[in-house]
Amino acid sequence: MFHKKRKSLVVMSVIMSALIMVSGCGASKPAATTPAADSKEPIKIGFLGAKTGDVAMYGLNTLKGLNMAVEELNKEGVLGRQVELVEEDNAGQKDQAINITNKLISQDKVAAIVGDPTTGITRVAGQIANSKKTVILSAGSTGMDVVEIGPYVFRDTLLDTIAAPATMKYVIQEKGWKNVALITSKNNDYSVSLSKIFSDAIDANGGKVVIEEFIQDKDTDFSGQITKIKSANPDVIVFSGYYTEGALIMKKAREVGIKAIMVGGDGLQGDDLMKIGGAAVEGSISYAGFSPEQPTPNTEKFINAYKAKYNNELPDLFAAQGYDALMLIAKAIKDANSADSEIFKDSLAKTKNYDGVSGSITFQENREPVKSPVYLLEVKDGKFALLKKVPVEIK
Amino acid sequence: MKKLLNNWIVQVLLFLSLLGLTAYGSQMINDIIPPYFLMIAFFIGINLIMALGLNLITGVTGQLSLGHAAFMSIGAYSSAIATVNYDLPFLLGVLIGGLIASVFGVIIGFPTLRLTGDYLAIATLGFAEIVRVQFTNMKITNGAIGFLGIEGSTTFPIVMTIAVLTICLMVWLENSRNGRAMLAIREDEVASSAVGINTTLYKIQAFAIGAFCAGVGGALFAHTTTFIQPTDFGFQKSVDILSIVVLGGLGSIPGTIIGAIVLTAAPEILRPLSNYRMIVYGLLLVVIMIFRPYGLMGGVNLRQALRRAMMFPKKKQAGREE
Repeated sequence: MFHKKRKSLVVMSVIMSALIMVSGCGASKPAATTPAADSKEPIKIGFLGAKTGDVAMYGLNTLKGLNMAVEELNKEGVLGRQVELVEEDNAGQKDQAINITNKLISQDKVAAIVGDPTTGITRVAGQIANSKKTVILSAGSTGMDVVEIGPYVFRDTLLDTIAAPATMKYVIQEKGWKNVALITSKNNDYSVSLSKIFSDAIDANGGKVVIEEFIQDKDTDFSGQITKIKSANPDVIVFSGYYTEGALIMKKAREVGIKAIMVGGDGLQGDDLMKIGGAAVEGSISYAGFSPEQPTPNTEKFINAYKAKYNNELPDLFAAQGYDALMLIAKAIKDANSADSEIFKDSLAKTKNYDGVSGSITFQENREPVKSPVYLLEVKDGKFALLKKVPVEIK
Repeated sequence: MKKLLNNWIVQVLLFLSLLGLTAYGSQMINDIIPPYFLMIAFFIGINLIMALGLNLITGVTGQLSLGHAAFMSIGAYSSAIATVNYDLPFLLGVLIGGLIASVFGVIIGFPTLRLTGDYLAIATLGFAEIVRVQFTNMKITNGAIGFLGIEGSTTFPIVMTIAVLTICLMVWLENSRNGRAMLAIREDEVASSAVGINTTLYKIQAFAIGAFCAGVGGALFAHTTTFIQPTDFGFQKSVDILSIVVLGGLGSIPGTIIGAIVLTAAPEILRPLSNYRMIVYGLLLVVIMIFRPYGLMGGVNLRQALRRAMMFPKKKQAGREE
């Protein structure tokens, strides 16, 4: 009995290793067939993002926007060719993202990659794509040190370095709230970098950080910090973290009698903010790169098509940015009359005032995007409502 | 060690990996293997190095550790600091990463090794959390934003050579006095201390060597991804490495090798299934553990099995019962 079992096990492992070897060798063969520019083969676009795991919502919504863009592009075709999406799931993990980026470039031979929606993975994938001379356009990363990687790395997001100063200008100069309490979540990379931008912008606009406090993500008790903030008596609370902690902070603040409202980044935009915070978060202001309210004609067309395709669901930021990302790439390919990354990356870099569904997009000389307008959202009757569109001037 | 070096399999493997280290060899590897498969092989190697370390702690010595990712992160960060901030050569950085992780293995070893089983597991889990929080709050590691600008110095031949050397080390250790003492501790700690084995010493030895392997793996990981964050080394990572060891068969070196190959390659091989990928992956784990409760190679003597499979039994042997 044991004899048989063992034998079959060994045979199985031999077969498996043989299979792995064969598949490894077989895949190397078609390496030489790069489609010529005039062939009718589809232009492949890779999608890099999470379809499972903690950050799956970003990836899935980006994908919805991408699929809409593919449908629309294929009505007329790009350079007479169809566009085909190769989607892979990286589950939000770096090692998988590395594998996928290599697969998309060397196996699938994609013309460009859209993704990843998060900064960390874009940095890692960007290194690979740049060294393999393939355009990668992140539809979501906002952190620093992304486009600096090299000439093949792009993004079409509203950067915190543009949105946060615009928000602070509104808060300090228009609202006249000069004394700011700044709260940072220390174990959240997004919050740490955003707080730096906020505090610079507060200084630049003539405001003053009267007290700076630190919390940790997943903390639930903020009594210590809030008590200190109350004694500093700020006009406004600026919190750079996520919605869960934001809601809990405001609840505590209202409990001890602080009247100031909360201002923060797009990290505050989750429905849980209102679910947890209730009346305490009413009036909270945050900025975003997209809002379905007061749309431009182009955006309205997109929203209607999106609703028709996805059961009346309203598109979110990631869907809009995903859609814009592919449209930008398609336009660059058409302008350059080539689906070769080495050629169309230059026309992509020259994009100026492109009328995207998430706002107008201009790539600066260093390929950093400038997007206009910044959408300021306010919590009104338990919902995010558009407060103001702040136009951004291109330097 | 001498006996081991006489083994032809070891010789072939060492020869191949040394060949890969030469300029000609690495060029050949890059020509033959597409980058995608090379990268998977990369991660198999890195995971294997770390899993072999954990196999020594959990499989051979029987100390359940849920904090392996902590040693990995210590290796990753210290090697990154060594190569980026102090401009040290890459291989020296890897060594430093391993050594510092090893030192922490000893430091955590002394107070916690009085604990056994579940209690030790919880203590190591706590240790891993402390390390992660520490890296999140340190200035030199750039906190939660992550450590940027690490050179992508790791090459496949280096990973393969270190993996082969680690396998050799483990095989040699298994047959040495120390390895047998560790096995004895796993089987019965009280009895082994009664016959004069210094259980604390050998347990700490296992932790030091295991942590060293994890540190080296972490250093290679950092110089592959070029960017590391504390979140890369969470509880999930510890569980991933533990799964490799358990699925392969606790205490079995061939098992750990197969486990590393299967668990690292499976998510990629299953990619064509797209949305059902992780379901099938999970199912695979469940099925393997149902049909092979002691792991793929648990209770299998590989040499005997190979001999039988190849149909030339040298002599009748009573197989180890499962």
